[in-house]
Amino acid sequence: MKLLLLALRRLAASLPALVLILVGLFLLLQLAPGDTVDALMAQMGGGDAAIAADLRRFYGLDLSVTARLGAYLWRLLTLDLGFSAIYGKPVASVILERLPATLLLMTGALFFAFSFGMALGVIAARRVNRWPDTLISTLGLIFYATPSFWFGLMAIVVFSVYLQWLPAGGFGDVAMGFTGWARVWDTATYLVLPVLTLALIFLAIALRIMRASMLEVQGMDFVRTARAKGLSDMRIVARHVLRNALLPMVTLIGLQAGTMLGGSVVVESVFTLPGLGRLAYESVVQRDLNTLLGIVFVSALLVIAVNFIVDLLYARLDPRITG
Amino acid sequence: MSGPTRREVFLMTGAAMVPMSAIAQATPRRGGILTVHFATEQRILNPSLQASTGVYIVGGKIQEPLVDLDAAGNPSPVLAESWESTPDGRAITFKLRQGVTWHDGRPFTSADVQFTAMEMWKKILNYGTALQQFLTAVDTPDAHTAVFRYERPMPLGLLLRALPDLGYISPKHIYEGTDIRQNPANTAPIGTGPFKFVQYERGQFIIAERNPNYWRQGFPYLDRVVWRVVSDRAAAAAQMEAGQILFSPYSSLALADMTRLARDPRFEVTTRGNEGNARTNTLEFNFRRPELADIRVRKAIAHAINIPFFIENFLGTYAKPGTGPIPSVSTDYYTPGSPQYGFDRAAANRLLDEAGHRRGAGGVRFSLRLTPAPWGEDIALFATFIQQSLAEVGIRVEVVRLDAAGFLRTVYNDHNFDLASGWHQYRSDPAVSTTVWYRSGSPQGAPWTNQWGWTDAGIDRVIDDAATEVDPAKRRALYGEFVTRVQNELPLWMPIEQIFLSTFNRRMRNAGNTPRWASSSWYDTWLAS
Amino acid sequence: MRALRAFLRNPVAMAGAVLLGAVVLMALAAPVVFPGDPLGLAGRPLQWPGANPRFWLGTDPSGRDIAAQLFHGARISLLIGAVATVIAVVIGIIFGALAGFYGGVVDTVLMRVTEAFQTLPNFLLLLVLVAVFGSDLKTVVIAIGVVAWPPVARLTRAEFLTLRERDYVAAGRMQGLSDAHLILREVLPNALPPVIVYASVVMAVAILLESALAFLQLSDPNVPSWGNLIGLGRTVLRSEWYVSAIPGVAILLSILGVSLVGQGLNDALNPRLASR
Repeated sequence: MKLLLLALRRLAASLPALVLILVGLFLLLQLAPGDTVDALMAQMGGGDAAIAADLRRFYGLDLSVTARLGAYLWRLLTLDLGFSAIYGKPVASVILERLPATLLLMTGALFFAFSFGMALGVIAARRVNRWPDTLISTLGLIFYATPSFWFGLMAIVVFSVYLQWLPAGGFGDVAMGFTGWARVWDTATYLVLPVLTLALIFLAIALRIMRASMLEVQGMDFVRTARAKGLSDMRIVARHVLRNALLPMVTLIGLQAGTMLGGSVVVESVFTLPGLGRLAYESVVQRDLNTLLGIVFVSALLVIAVNFIVDLLYARLDPRITG
Repeated sequence: MSGPTRREVFLMTGAAMVPMSAIAQATPRRGGILTVHFATEQRILNPSLQASTGVYIVGGKIQEPLVDLDAAGNPSPVLAESWESTPDGRAITFKLRQGVTWHDGRPFTSADVQFTAMEMWKKILNYGTALQQFLTAVDTPDAHTAVFRYERPMPLGLLLRALPDLGYISPKHIYEGTDIRQNPANTAPIGTGPFKFVQYERGQFIIAERNPNYWRQGFPYLDRVVWRVVSDRAAAAAQMEAGQILFSPYSSLALADMTRLARDPRFEVTTRGNEGNARTNTLEFNFRRPELADIRVRKAIAHAINIPFFIENFLGTYAKPGTGPIPSVSTDYYTPGSPQYGFDRAAANRLLDEAGHRRGAGGVRFSLRLTPAPWGEDIALFATFIQQSLAEVGIRVEVVRLDAAGFLRTVYNDHNFDLASGWHQYRSDPAVSTTVWYRSGSPQGAPWTNQWGWTDAGIDRVIDDAATEVDPAKRRALYGEFVTRVQNELPLWMPIEQIFLSTFNRRMRNAGNTPRWASSSWYDTWLAS
Repeated sequence: MRALRAFLRNPVAMAGAVLLGAVVLMALAAPVVFPGDPLGLAGRPLQWPGANPRFWLGTDPSGRDIAAQLFHGARISLLIGAVATVIAVVIGIIFGALAGFYGGVVDTVLMRVTEAFQTLPNFLLLLVLVAVFGSDLKTVVIAIGVVAWPPVARLTRAEFLTLRERDYVAAGRMQGLSDAHLILREVLPNALPPVIVYASVVMAVAILLESALAFLQLSDPNVPSWGNLIGLGRTVLRSEWYVSAIPGVAILLSILGVSLVGQGLNDALNPRLASR
């Protein structure tokens, strides 16, 4: 109950920002050259002016900007995201179809980045200033500097074109009609390269933080004492160091949630994943205002939710912060 | 990178056996799933409502037109068995096929034709609304006769050439009394064709299965057609190589991949089956720029661009120099011998000098903005080539990159461009697709129409006369005059002619055997094992 | 002076300086080494590196010299990085300084706006800005600056929040110094070092953002940008992967250079952390 109240208060605090974004984007896109009917005409390959006028009337594009904005916000109050002109169905269902790919991609990337980041960070810190540390730290720097889309392209060249180990793009082979574990396995093979690509930069960041935290804690008295007591390295790392290192890591997740969603635009278009990022890109190109605003709305909620969870975790991890 | 790999050698030896197995399988084999590359998803799949290749590639197997084209390119009966026109061209009668049923079991009748023509072709279908502008009524004296009545003469030849694309019939009982644009059948079409719609998962696939009650006895051969939605060209090429896709229509693969697949004995990359879908690359001039309103500058620009070089180095063997708005595949209306502007840099410089545009600082005469359409790799390559070529004669070109909506709005509504470049798609008859690029008086904002700020009363008159000329010989002469006139005036330039490319897996048989095969119904297509 | 010495003695910083210096050198040498138009037609398209001695890095799908584009592209990347960073840092400092110095309603309003920008994925906003205002170089640079400022604002605000409580600020207030004077002369100079360090991150982000835009074919096609080249190479990735590979390495090395220099600056300016 207290948690729910906290969540609601958090949401309420974020509302002004959310409304600002939606109204701002709505107005911004009015300035774009061409509207969704122009995009439709291009898709149709031609048509006369009467058809265009008819379609504009049909999608309510002949109304004034304020009227449309008002109508949009009013519908949003009832949690109705509207109708997509390009996809010909409610925005909510369009988004719902695309959400799984993006969620899998993001959670997969986060999981990979943090587990490997931690492991590498620990190894580097244990062998500080010796060759494993130098190697890992250098790798971290290179990962940080690699443009993700370029890494994705090169991964396709190596793993899909030359070695032919993994598919170059897409999200599962529908025509094969896999079910059960076969389907999970099939989907997983399509996700390996995109997850790696998206995870790269976060892996680099996680690694750096973990190494730094390890080094900081290692010198502290309580770790020395623990070690003197004969506690194994594993237990020291697990009990004392991890807890300290998790704080900045968790903060990072909160800060990077939005960035990651932005990154998935590029990664999804490299690997043609049917996810939210690519949908966002397509809806900008197609001037599909309802869909774009819907995605922004959903992703903003996602970011707010992630930050809320981060705050809760923070309170658990850091005893100095209460309530 | 040198010498064939073992894998390639294996494939080559396999290739040597292809003709033999083809002979062994001369009798059609029943069954099998044809997987098709679907590159550009559409809002709807009903070809009575939207005329685009992206709709025909799916809807054309499920719904059928009154008339299609046979192997020789002549009109052949589908839902209409025969046709005749009154001498004045104001009434055209179609005798309809009997014993045809819709996929839901209801009979196909003249009421369906009447409804589709009046409510869809005349009101909603792009290109259809212009074609049927003067259609006043469709009479149905009996269930298998439809009489099209026109306010102005409609040349029978024009109608028959247009109907394969613009003559698909929809079921009246599904659409009547509904909001046609929003009808669920638009994405789950019901037709009379050889394949019945099964399922559409947006962004993923469409499935259609064999129609057991198809009116052509014993057809189709295939059990299923599955369209895979793959918007990424490179990914589609990979799926072709993996055998996950057997057919990629309408040049949907990257040029580099098509060139590569053409060398692979498992595939055939060909223009065959697309002869009815020719297109020309365009260069549009905005006459609101005083420099471009000068015919000498337009001619100079044409002379400055080495088209054969561009084709040879960038487009390969699949394109050829174009000679005007009507491509050479149009056997009826192609006009050889019209004025041409071959590559001649000296002439270009001379013309620009004559027009008073001397080279200024850095050898630049003046600057232009070039807006390429965002569809098609060749358009982007051509835009870069134009930029490079014009720099040589002292015209600095800035490429303005826009997305589809931005392109149509900027060029056709806002007229905010100097040069634009895209495709003109020739649709069987100049009156359907071509003359709108030249006829003045199109409302502002209508895409792919004359928005260049250029009018020529003489050319307008020729266009109008040809559109209502019932005598085929006179019509041909009028289009000859049209081509010569526009090549003299050069309001826009169409210097390259291309035919869409199909990439076939060689297992496909009876594929590409008609001029609009990719759009046609595939009732006799089969797969060798 | 001490900071400079620390910077020069730091091998990490020096490695970064060498990389960045190489990129700057490429940018400066471009008009000398490749005097022609880098976007001009140089020869047959898609010649492999080394296949033709005239093009030691080969030609792209439009028949342009990749080496020439690489050199001239260095200028574009540096230009974009520098200008976009200045824009982002200026906006960020204005927002952060005002919010941190005044607090209260000003702080709330400014931070709400910052929050709005941060909630929206920045690449998405960039896509919208480019779709709306076009993709010429000027627009792209401004748009990148506009999406990259929020972290700078937060950092500046945090510095201002602690610094404004210092005695010398209170003393200045007592003397009746104007707010502008206090902000610009007293607080800002002390708040700057971490912001300068962070600017290197902004610069790396700016270069990456432009190349990602170019990869989606949404950047200015009239300049020889590295990202444009990667995007062009995408259609021929299966056979001529070098078109994408070569400029990618260039981007990687420049960003590596920028971030190493940033790290060196950090170590030099914040000596208490240097021991890490």
